[in-house]
Amino acid sequence: MTDAIALLVVVPIVLALAPIAFGRLWNRTGWLAAVVAALAHLGLALVVASQVAATGRFTYAVGDYAPPFGIELVADGVSATLALLVSVVTLAVVIYARRAGPDSNGFYSGLLLLTAGISGVFVTGDLFNLYVFIEITGLATYALVATGRSPDAALSSLKYLLVGTIGASLYLLGVGYLYISTGTLNMADLAATIPEVGYDSPLVLTGFGLIVVGLAVKAALFPLHTWQPDAYADSPDSVTAYISALVSTAAAYALFRIIYAVFTPAFDAAAPFALDALVILAAVSVVVGSVLAVLQSDLKRMLAYSSVAQFGLIVAGFAVANATAVTGGLIHLVGHAIMKAGLFVGVGALAGVAGGRTVDDFAGIADRAPVTSAAFAVLAFALVGVPPAVGFAGKWHIVLGAVEGGRWGVAVVAVVSTLLTLAYFARVVERMYFREAPIDASADADDSTVGDNGATDGTLASDGGSEPSSDDAAGISTEAKVVVVVAAVGAVVLGLFATDLVAVFEPVLEVYFE
Amino acid sequence: MSGAFSAAAATATILASEPSVSIPTADVPTAIPPAFVVLAVALVMPFLSRKLGHALGVLATGGVAVWSLLAPAGTYLSVTFLGFDAVLFNVDAFSKLMGVIFGFIGAAAVLYSYSSEARNRQTAFALGYVGTSIGTVFAGDWLTMVFFWELMAVTSTLLVWDYGGEAVRAGFRYAIYHGLGGSLLMVAVVWHYASVGSFLFSASDGIVVGIPAALAAVGIGVNVGFVGLHTWLPDTYPRPHVAASVFLSVYTTKTGVYGLARAFPDGNLAIAYMGAAMALVGVCYALLQDDMRRLLSYHIQSQVGYMVAGVGIGTALATAGAFAHVFNHILYKALLFMTAGVVIARAGEQRLKYLGGLGRALPVTALAFTVAALSISGFPGFNGFVSKGMITAAAHNEHLDGIFYILLAAGVGTFMSFIKFGYYAFLKESKGTWNLKRSVTGQRVAMLSVASLCVALGLYPDALFALLPGSTADAHPFTLGHLGEGFVLAALGVVGFAILKKPLSKVGPGVDVDAVIEPATFYGMRGLVRGVTGLFAVVDHIVVDLTTRSLRAAADPYGAVRGPLGALVGGDGENLRDGSLRASIATSVLLVLVVLGATLVGLL
Repeated sequence: MTDAIALLVVVPIVLALAPIAFGRLWNRTGWLAAVVAALAHLGLALVVASQVAATGRFTYAVGDYAPPFGIELVADGVSATLALLVSVVTLAVVIYARRAGPDSNGFYSGLLLLTAGISGVFVTGDLFNLYVFIEITGLATYALVATGRSPDAALSSLKYLLVGTIGASLYLLGVGYLYISTGTLNMADLAATIPEVGYDSPLVLTGFGLIVVGLAVKAALFPLHTWQPDAYADSPDSVTAYISALVSTAAAYALFRIIYAVFTPAFDAAAPFALDALVILAAVSVVVGSVLAVLQSDLKRMLAYSSVAQFGLIVAGFAVANATAVTGGLIHLVGHAIMKAGLFVGVGALAGVAGGRTVDDFAGIADRAPVTSAAFAVLAFALVGVPPAVGFAGKWHIVLGAVEGGRWGVAVVAVVSTLLTLAYFARVVERMYFREAPIDASADADDSTVGDNGATDGTLASDGGSEPSSDDAAGISTEAKVVVVVAAVGAVVLGLFATDLVAVFEPVLEVYFE
Repeated sequence: MSGAFSAAAATATILASEPSVSIPTADVPTAIPPAFVVLAVALVMPFLSRKLGHALGVLATGGVAVWSLLAPAGTYLSVTFLGFDAVLFNVDAFSKLMGVIFGFIGAAAVLYSYSSEARNRQTAFALGYVGTSIGTVFAGDWLTMVFFWELMAVTSTLLVWDYGGEAVRAGFRYAIYHGLGGSLLMVAVVWHYASVGSFLFSASDGIVVGIPAALAAVGIGVNVGFVGLHTWLPDTYPRPHVAASVFLSVYTTKTGVYGLARAFPDGNLAIAYMGAAMALVGVCYALLQDDMRRLLSYHIQSQVGYMVAGVGIGTALATAGAFAHVFNHILYKALLFMTAGVVIARAGEQRLKYLGGLGRALPVTALAFTVAALSISGFPGFNGFVSKGMITAAAHNEHLDGIFYILLAAGVGTFMSFIKFGYYAFLKESKGTWNLKRSVTGQRVAMLSVASLCVALGLYPDALFALLPGSTADAHPFTLGHLGEGFVLAALGVVGFAILKKPLSKVGPGVDVDAVIEPATFYGMRGLVRGVTGLFAVVDHIVVDLTTRSLRAAADPYGAVRGPLGALVGGDGENLRDGSLRASIATSVLLVLVVLGATLVGLL
């Protein structure tokens, strides 16, 4: 058995201490520690993935205490893929943060703690252990949101802290109910013992309800999403990119595991109301989230509401409860993380050039930052679901699964959401490419700088020595450009290889839907 | 001369029964569909030199012919496209035959294009057209087939448009016809999928009977030129570049015949009668034409009528005959368009009444024309005789006397119109003497290789029989009865032409249905365009209005909500400011509790 799966959690936690311990000696300790952690995480995730590819699902007993009493870590196709996703996103955000900040050692400690928490969520096989990791994730996120300097960030962080803690507590309460009724916390063991107690036992039903509502708060489904737009909009760009890609993803993943690994499709057959309600909640979330996104003028808030809608779609895929739709949900889970992280980095980078991040500020930005704008547009259309990007693959499977399962409502909602997604992105892309830049933006600079603005996007990269001092040099860092372009290329490439992704998820789902 | 032919035929009578030739097979690369190779060449063509581009074109199409010949039956490549099983290519008796002839004639036509001064762009479009046609005939399922079918319509339209001038408007009418036909076929295929649950050819025996079959018949009917749906054919084919006409005369209609055979593997009597009608109507109009390529175009309809009749009769012999005729027809019709092209290019004239005496000026072309004319007319010893005979024999065996006699009458007409063509173009004394540049080597190689194949397959049909689908067990081309039939038809043709020569030269080109259909299309399209424009204006107004309102609402959402809400609540709504819709912390917690409460109440 490989220890790599445990090290996925341990390495970031240990390295999280480095910036605090050595930060006073050398200013860039934090960044270095984060890079080392991200690379180590990537290596470990690759080891786990290759092990899964070679032998299939494997488990690891922490401290050699045998489950169900000891804590069990589980790696299969889904968790290995998501662990890899964590590594990639961490690496990308750390690279981006080198120039974009926040440039404090505390930030990197928080980031690594968050990495550890999320990795833990993806690999654990134990309900209480899952709670611990969710709390680590939550606490680290509250701290990271508060690293924004503005008073709004503090307020958003507080709001997130209160609402998120209630969500986590509800989850813990639900786990308690299940523990009382079954006497175990291990997921595999629970799947075996819950049927003995009976799916219609009030304890089990209450436990399910509490857990699902708790996780729905964390995944930000409407109307439990209220913390999320504030938290996304008020945090620094690097933080937004990271938490939008991974935090809600962790909650949605936990929901997937609990529905299928703990309660199993047999529960759906015994208590159909449970998943029906979840489908309705998710569908409402898709429509309302998309409509609210259309109403926003601040692009970060727009992307935040877009996440509400996309997570609605993902959870709808999980709740349709057949292999095709769940596959779609998982693909969209991975795809959304890549696309949304790229989009947030893109907004952050372009906002620096545009001087603001409302839709109108972006008018004519494509001329001033052609590469980043093109990548942003590609990501936008990928999220809309234009083939061959990964957004299409996920939505397609969800729609197909919904039709297979006779849930026509979900199929219709998915198509409507595609149109609404197109509406709010088309608005931005139209401004970027077909509007003239506002006159006053260039008028207050010297009369000769109109032409210069066009060149900054391409030329700023190379000079590492002199700090950019004047205002009009506020171009886009190479790091940001690379991250956005890689995300755009990744979204398309992942879409082309979606069939392989399906093949990776297939053995996991086969067990659940045998 | 006819004595020599009958002697050769008499010895061949003994041979012709079961095919004595077997086709060699070999392991061929199957990683990519053959169509993609041709399409790839079409894509790079505009960037290459003329010589290299055309050489690659000849290699690719010739390669497809060899590949098709050697590929063992049953070779296929299946892929999954969006959850549907699709078969990108599938080699069986039908597609093998089509692949061989499409590839061979493609190579000959590209060579002819090169020596007829065709530009790279035109040949690129032509290769695109060839590639999509090959894709259509190798498709193993309806989805792939319709996909390539539509692309074939697009590429052939581009090929027509490329020439400019009059070809543009004709190409436009061509596009409308094929757009409609393709859409009907697509509806038929979707309907077929809905009732069978699979696009694969192997999943069902032909297309589902009832409305899908009717839609498919009409949709494919546009491509093969059903009477009434055929006007695009003489309208389009005479107009583009002479080399483009060679391509056009081969692929669209024959792909249609192939599609018809896929859709109706057991035949259909109505289709058989339609085929006979096409054979007769086409030849009658052909007799009246003066423009060479227009005459040949009507003959396409007439000859395709034989094939459609063969597919419609549906017995093993009829199917074999139909596909033998596809093969032979492609050879001699492409050859006829090549010779007509040489005449037009050299004499600068495409109307027969201004030509004459070209036999001496263009001897090789005249020889090739003679072979092609004897082949299409079905003179014993040439390939058309064999395949036509198989179809008429099949009609006779099934006691479909109506079809049998109509096809014989059409045969007489074919003799007459080609005697007319040959007489006016090559034999008749002309007023002046032609001082022409002769055909160039490339054109000669292309024409003579096709012509020799016409003769070879006419004398030794077993080589073709080995390739055919259906059964050739009942095919006895060289019995005395059949030979007599051929000679009698030829004699009737000569006599008929001698009698009708004077009146024919007085009659104009005749009034085809296009006299009605073209204005109808024109005014119909104009009405449609005006209606659509009007409707669009209305819709546009509504949409713009709605968009303006929603954009205004989106730009100032709170302002948009304020009015109605103020009216609802009764206040002036002034306290509803930017941001006040955001939930406070307390509201958020309340919402969590409400959802939790509702969930638990529901669950318990």
